[in-house]
Amino acid sequence: MKTKMKILWLSAISCNGNTHSFLNYPYMEQFLDDFEFIYHPVIDSKYLLQDIVSKQIACDILLIEGAISKEYKRADVSIVEIIEKYSKIVQKIVTVGTCATFGGIFRESGYENASGLHFDQEKKLEDFKYLLDKTISLSGCPIHPEILANTLYAIKKSATLRLDNFLRPKEFYAYTVHNGCTRNEYFEYKVDNHKFGELEGCMYYEHGCQAPFTHGSCNKILWNEVSSKTRVGLPCMGCTEPSFPRQNLFSTKKNMSIPESLPVGVNKRVYLTLAGITKAFKIDRLEKKLFDD
Amino acid sequence: MIKLIEKIEGEAKLNFNFKDGKIDFVDVEFMSTRNIENILRGKRAFDALVINPRVCGICGHAHLIATVQALESCYDNLQLSNKAKAIRELTLNFELIQNHFKWFYLTMFPFFGHKQQILKATYPTQLMSKAIAVFGGQYPHTSYAVVGGVVCEITQMDIIKVENYISQTLKFVEENLVKIDSKTLLACKDADALLEFSGDLPDILREIKNTDMINHAKSYDRFIAFGENSFFKKGKSLKKKVSHSISLKDVKETEMPTSFAKNVSYKEKYYEVGPLARAMVNKTALIVDAHKKYGDSLYSRILARAYEITELLNYSKKLIKNLDLAEPSYIEPQLDISKLTSSGYSAVEAARGTLIHKVEIEKGIIKNYEIITPTQWNLSGGTREKLGVSQKAMVGLSDIKTAELVFKSFDVCSICTTH
Repeated sequence: MKTKMKILWLSAISCNGNTHSFLNYPYMEQFLDDFEFIYHPVIDSKYLLQDIVSKQIACDILLIEGAISKEYKRADVSIVEIIEKYSKIVQKIVTVGTCATFGGIFRESGYENASGLHFDQEKKLEDFKYLLDKTISLSGCPIHPEILANTLYAIKKSATLRLDNFLRPKEFYAYTVHNGCTRNEYFEYKVDNHKFGELEGCMYYEHGCQAPFTHGSCNKILWNEVSSKTRVGLPCMGCTEPSFPRQNLFSTKKNMSIPESLPVGVNKRVYLTLAGITKAFKIDRLEKKLFDD
Repeated sequence: MIKLIEKIEGEAKLNFNFKDGKIDFVDVEFMSTRNIENILRGKRAFDALVINPRVCGICGHAHLIATVQALESCYDNLQLSNKAKAIRELTLNFELIQNHFKWFYLTMFPFFGHKQQILKATYPTQLMSKAIAVFGGQYPHTSYAVVGGVVCEITQMDIIKVENYISQTLKFVEENLVKIDSKTLLACKDADALLEFSGDLPDILREIKNTDMINHAKSYDRFIAFGENSFFKKGKSLKKKVSHSISLKDVKETEMPTSFAKNVSYKEKYYEVGPLARAMVNKTALIVDAHKKYGDSLYSRILARAYEITELLNYSKKLIKNLDLAEPSYIEPQLDISKLTSSGYSAVEAARGTLIHKVEIEKGIIKNYEIITPTQWNLSGGTREKLGVSQKAMVGLSDIKTAELVFKSFDVCSICTTH
């Protein structure tokens, strides 16, 4: 019988959104042949949470979901103590979701110094510094199931993953959410009159879409194998980034009518030059309804 | 004896008191909260559409719909197309369905001598998530319902896709849950006739019926549902008498000294919410018959939740058929939210029952936000003199294992309860 890799899925201050997102992984049968959860918030496991916190159960990968604060307890034991105990014995630690990586929404939950494992938003933390070499960050609110599953397979294969400054695998986070969006042409040619409820238009200019400056693969590896927020017409909320959640999410902050946050790597001069050129043209096809006769 | 109940979207501590070998009181304690209501205070009103789905990973969509409806109720004369209303109803139905499958195959199944059926839970769940993603872009955690409608425009091809996800899910039900065609199931009005069929649901129901479990988990026989839409009716059912004139003004939330959860009552009394309550208020023939024969027992509660899957799938087909694609998905509100000072509320039927959101906004900024979740209704921790709904259902049982089954039959969500 082949040995399965053992995973501890540990929830901290969370909504269980990553747990349920993971249940959307299409190849669950195969996954459960290859991996075993010594504890999972929903799937039955050999051990109870009480066993996990009172003993040290053999384990290969520690998955953390949710923001971390020493004040927060599971089965009467501080989440920090549980992390310390298991981080010693595992090969790898994976912070699943934006809360566990950067603090996310539950950074504001009122628990003392709630943050990600290594980052409090952009700030690098001292606390678990000795674990930096072991950690892979998978930000996103929630995590995309395929990104999680395939990262776990990479660990199983001992594949070398190239990571960015926040320890996120470049293979998923070197892209921006803008890559692959079906509304790209409206962005490129600056057709900025987007309205909700339409197939046409780009939400970057008015409606707060953060896709051009958000790292992620939402439009490359589609959600639920079907679509993405921006494809249906919902602005990207920047949920993979340390700054999530920003304020005033449905509105684009502008200075002198220029969006405050520009696409990754594009400076203001480049942006203005391009904007000037595209504004000089009117492309009828993009001004009209997509399905017009 | 204290037992930590796990895998209920978090945990709860149940302190069982026994007298003469029977449970005579259970104290229910939730150990943590995430202070969502505080997080919302001071934020822009529309940001609640992004934050609130994150109340819960399994019923976050209900929180989105409750949020958008609460915000919309702050406006005078806000316009909403029938298409947008129907699409919102559809995606909420799909969330309810995925929840019920998970509850049945992951939570209930192991209590009846079976292994957890992970793939039977995830297969239909994924189909329903796909159906939500067609409209909302992703599941969980979309914010596609915005004040004035929905962000998506839908095409004929989207409709075809969603219809196929529904049909495929119905097929799964017919091949697994109750092995008859769904038309026959929907026409069935006799709770005992259902036991003649094969399938995972009749298997469990037979097991309940053939043991003394049939008498378990009876509570007050008081039901309430506030979330009204084109399928669910608003009302309460008291000893089978249904009344539709109920007001949210009579709903009261009170602090509890020992738990992070707050008590919820209607006119000072505890009521059960959820699929059984909805079916009683809606007078769903099969469930009313089960209730007539077996009361508000484990049997009726499990049947009601599982049966709702087929009902909602079937009704969703109708909703789609009646969609008028020519209508707008979104009608821009006349008033900019930053100029709005108002208050509002909403009630929707989430997977576990009535979910209430209340909001106060001042020039578009959230001044106050209150959330009352379904599990709060069912798990309100009363005193010995005035037991909560789930407490009453557990009193009189002789073992903790059965008590855990009864507790989980309410489909408890720990994180929602304390939010």
